[in-house]
Amino acid sequence: MPRRNNERPGRRQPHGRTQRQKRMPGRNRDEYGKSFRCLHCRLDVSKSAPGTAHRNHCPNCLSSKHVDRSCPGDRASTCHARMEPISIAVRGDGEWVIIHRCVGCGDLGSNRAAGDDNALALTRLAVTAIRHLGSPLRIQLAIPPE
Amino acid sequence: MSSDKNGSPLPASFSCMRCGISVSTNTPSSRIRNHCPNCLTSRHTTTREPRTTDGRCGARMQPISIAVLRGGDWALIQRCTGCSELADDHVEPDDNQLLLIRLAVRPLAQPPFPLEHLGALWAAG
Repeated sequence: MPRRNNERPGRRQPHGRTQRQKRMPGRNRDEYGKSFRCLHCRLDVSKSAPGTAHRNHCPNCLSSKHVDRSCPGDRASTCHARMEPISIAVRGDGEWVIIHRCVGCGDLGSNRAAGDDNALALTRLAVTAIRHLGSPLRIQLAIPPE
Repeated sequence: MSSDKNGSPLPASFSCMRCGISVSTNTPSSRIRNHCPNCLTSRHTTTREPRTTDGRCGARMQPISIAVLRGGDWALIQRCTGCSELADDHVEPDDNQLLLIRLAVRPLAQPPFPLEHLGALWAAG
């Protein structure tokens, strides 16, 4: 007897939350294909990869595209400009979150760091704030000026 | 007296939603202060998508990270605890430096991968 397919999107998942439907009719087909091309480094990125369920940024340069407006997956934004990574935030469970800023409209967004993201790019982003210490902090931490 | 986007005058001081101290809206950098210098928390007043009748969320915004602007200045990234919207704000000279440096080093204190392997990569490359 065939088993029931509980893995369909939109069906309640074992952990209790419902997976939101991502596919919407009448939209650009290549936007929902198997891969996308990064707007910044022009890398062809496959959407299915180990380490992430929702690929929403380039694993090489961490850039993203402004497609969601208020909640992830709503595809309600009309901006469609490149979003550049500006900083790393840490969630309560220790997970890294990349903060993106849209270069077109200045909106901010946050995306979870995926398992196959460029570790050097992530670390470079994480130390950006330390590299640009202001003068009051340099005095307090007894760091000599540059 | 300065006024906000809606034209209503800004108060000369406000009390923090989290720690309750009363702070002046004037800052040493002559920008309008909109977060508490002690705990870096602010109130969510300007929102892109109005959810209430007066277009204000009103919930507390807590600081989550530090970004660096093009000129090298620090910007504080805050997330609203009510509607999860993100906002950025200039870091003022009289902000709590201990909290700022804590926010800046938090990613490095909890790395998702061992950072010492990156040092080996750097030495090899």
